Amino acid sequence: MGRRSYWVIAAMIIGYVFLYGPILSLVIYSFNESRLVTVWGGFSTKWYGELLHNEQILSAAWLSVRIAALNASVAVVLGTLAGFALARFRRFRGRGLFTTLITGPLVMPDVIIGLSLLLLFVAMEQAIGWPAGRGMLTITIAHITFSMAYVAVVVQSRVAQLDPSLEEAAMDLGAKPVGVFFAVTLPIIAPALVAGWLLAFTLSLDDLVIASFASGPGATTLPMVVYASVRLGVSPQINALATLIVGVVGFAVLVAGILLARQERLAARSSD
Amino acid sequence: MAPKTPPWQDPDAIPLVRIDGVTRHFGDVYAVDDVSLDIYPGELFSLLGPSGCGKSTLLRLLAGFERPDAGRLFIDGVDVTDIPPYARPVNMMFQSYALFPHMSVEQNIAFGLKQDRMARAAIRDRVGEMLTLLKIEQLARRKPDQLSGGQRQRVALARSLAKHPKLLLLDEPLGALDRKLREHTQFELVNLQEQIGTTFVMVTHDQEEAMTMSSRMAVMEAGRIQQIGTPTSVYEYPANRYCAEFIGAANLIEARVIEHADGMVTLKPADWDGELVMAQETPLVAGTQVTVALRPEKVRIGTPPDGAGGRVRGRIEDIAYLGDISIYHVRVPDGPRIQVTQTNLVPRAEQPLTWGDEIDLWWTHRGGVVLLS
Amino acid sequence: MKAAGEGSGLHGRNGRRLVIGLPYFWLALFFLVPFAIVLKVSFSEAMLGNPPFAPLLQTDADGMTALHLNIDNFLLMFDDSLYYGALLNSLQVAAIATVLCLLLGFPMAYGIARAAPRWRLPLLMLIILPFWTSFLIRVYAWIGILKPNGLLNEWLMGIGLIDQPLAILHTPVAVYIGIVYSYLPFMILPLYATLVRLDLTLLEAAADLGARPFTSFLRVTLPLAKPGIIAGCLLVFVPATGEFVIPDLLGGPNALMIGKVLWTEFFNNADWPVASAMAVLLLVLLVGPVVWLQRSQWDDADSDGERS
Repeated sequence: MGRRSYWVIAAMIIGYVFLYGPILSLVIYSFNESRLVTVWGGFSTKWYGELLHNEQILSAAWLSVRIAALNASVAVVLGTLAGFALARFRRFRGRGLFTTLITGPLVMPDVIIGLSLLLLFVAMEQAIGWPAGRGMLTITIAHITFSMAYVAVVVQSRVAQLDPSLEEAAMDLGAKPVGVFFAVTLPIIAPALVAGWLLAFTLSLDDLVIASFASGPGATTLPMVVYASVRLGVSPQINALATLIVGVVGFAVLVAGILLARQERLAARSSD
Repeated sequence: MAPKTPPWQDPDAIPLVRIDGVTRHFGDVYAVDDVSLDIYPGELFSLLGPSGCGKSTLLRLLAGFERPDAGRLFIDGVDVTDIPPYARPVNMMFQSYALFPHMSVEQNIAFGLKQDRMARAAIRDRVGEMLTLLKIEQLARRKPDQLSGGQRQRVALARSLAKHPKLLLLDEPLGALDRKLREHTQFELVNLQEQIGTTFVMVTHDQEEAMTMSSRMAVMEAGRIQQIGTPTSVYEYPANRYCAEFIGAANLIEARVIEHADGMVTLKPADWDGELVMAQETPLVAGTQVTVALRPEKVRIGTPPDGAGGRVRGRIEDIAYLGDISIYHVRVPDGPRIQVTQTNLVPRAEQPLTWGDEIDLWWTHRGGVVLLS
Repeated sequence: MKAAGEGSGLHGRNGRRLVIGLPYFWLALFFLVPFAIVLKVSFSEAMLGNPPFAPLLQTDADGMTALHLNIDNFLLMFDDSLYYGALLNSLQVAAIATVLCLLLGFPMAYGIARAAPRWRLPLLMLIILPFWTSFLIRVYAWIGILKPNGLLNEWLMGIGLIDQPLAILHTPVAVYIGIVYSYLPFMILPLYATLVRLDLTLLEAAADLGARPFTSFLRVTLPLAKPGIIAGCLLVFVPATGEFVIPDLLGGPNALMIGKVLWTEFFNNADWPVASAMAVLLLVLLVGPVVWLQRSQWDDADSDGERS
């Protein structure tokens, strides 16, 4: 669109280099033969081999994936309800508090969320004996609590864009409220739910601080292992892990992008 | 026009829709304020008014999306006030069309039929019938985002007619179409309605649309109905200043009643000397202050003949040339400005009248109408 | 069932209650109640045991129950420079990092919003993409870059700009870099959202009325982008204040931030009451900004839904 100042372009170049440089360096040095990250010792995939035989990392990763999937599934249900309520129900008692409760987890420092949840779990265990001890269950509950807020925001903005007459039309044509939701609302907002699920999954997979508070002796998640290892210094195995994660995410985004582009092409062609 | 008595003049006719003292308010705002209205089978009834006058709320009350705060609604003799929208024998075509974006045209049309658990084959037949009726067979497999505005409008219409509702509600059905397409579609819609015989209730803010299409219309303002009648009666005999000015243009002349006899009333205009003599059935008491509405096209320019209903002299202040017609703004000395429209029978350059000319205006006994309220 | 209720008129009363009630209950139990417990613990005394704090209500030997409110934890916050120093330092670091984020993020958001429409989505995706990879690992990447024999120093020495490695890792600079790097998307996204909605004819009108590009930027673009700027700054500032991972991995031992102190207090010293008192203090400090954010975020959503 017209003239763009050079400094805008400069800022964009600097910004994107800034965002991707570190990730690129991780990827490159994951193929480094040498243990020293900065000294190039030749191409090698040996760190990937070591990573795949690192029982600790593998079991932590498996735990993290299970927690993330469980968390994402529950968070999508709760977050969708919350987002729907925020977008559709203009006035209800306690709406102010409700929006605060949704906004809170988005910005609240992790240490506060983690500490407060731990204290709750301890108090609950004392009072009613549940949850007995801390581990996968408590981490999952903690993650659901903050990821449902993200899902709620995603769903809320999608539902707010939704033409209310679509639902009215469905009802006018004879669908009962529950039928309207499943036949019309849900299919239309489905992309937002998928996005919300992925977001919740990633947030959970990524979280170190809250999981550290909510976890017990038995449960060590992937970020906790990575953190312990990183504190000791740079480790090529972590580079390899990072590369795998970047690869998976990059692939997923590529696929999503292609699907999206194809859809847009279809839409564009048909509207001519 | 049907030769027999129209149902609204037939005391024995049974209305399809009866709106009985219905009120709906949002906080302090009365969107619909004590409205009563009967609509008869086979009518194409328009709710006409500016935005915010409550016409859409009234439509949504009929559909069941809003519940009245007071009053009852009857459809085909059944009290539907407490019946939810999905159980009413009514369908609606939305202003935004509200086509389900994730369903094809076929699936959109079949949606309502599936809700009724209609047999598969019957659904297929009905969908085919609708596609044929609206001449959209070739669009059956398309998704809504692959349709033009006019095509969407047809699909929305097909979907809302698929269940053969007793009553079809249309919310600004032509609002999203461009002007040329709209004029064409107006006639199509009327023909379709005559062909299938379904009762239509249509919301519009466009008076031309209401005039061309309706059997009757209700003019609404601020939640209340100002006048109900056929397009002709509303135009020719507006009930009040609001209707006179909202439908078409009108010159409003303040006058006092001198006498009323033999179906004729004699009035003294407030702003000029002379008399107005007008046909008037309802008796008027001498001395009453009234307003006379005078349509611009009923005013003529030239020497008034004997027996003219009214006459006045004025000076041309302004001429608006609109191609087919011209509008003359004529100032009565120390009085109102009167609008006169004239068909342009000769090219503009050949017309004798120009700014500043003093001219005579006149009209017949039936040219103006006394506004009774 | 009467489906045509008030409001949207679409959902039955019970359905509505369920839709609101379920998430409400969850958040109340796992987000609101915990804060009450944090508040309670912050007023109790530390002691050895499980859990390691004394109950507020204690029954004495003679059977009397008394409320023991202990404000020592809070007094300690203002007495010991470790705590109030960390608090002030956190606010300062977060504020500076927020400004840096804005300085880099605004032109980027502006550039994306003004790019050709078909480039906007890919450019935006590139901003969000790093967010989907592990945060911890992205912070870790900077260790390899910033350390004395890291990539940055190797490169700078390689091109002869410096001959001694710069000490960047374990300094405040490293913390700023880490925060800006991690939170930049949170700044760019709300900025982009407001800038892309900005009507370009407004700028043309400004130019038409005689404003130079810089003036119209200052007088038209910037004021209209204000909601995005506020949202972006709060989304960076609030979480950055309580950040733990970045100062822990990139910061030095002297640059203490409140999140890290809280973590140490809890995990290393097992002093739950002091950690709770810090959480309460941090919370009180951040409540204002959070409420502000919530207003700016949901008010738009509230105002556009009413039916005319």
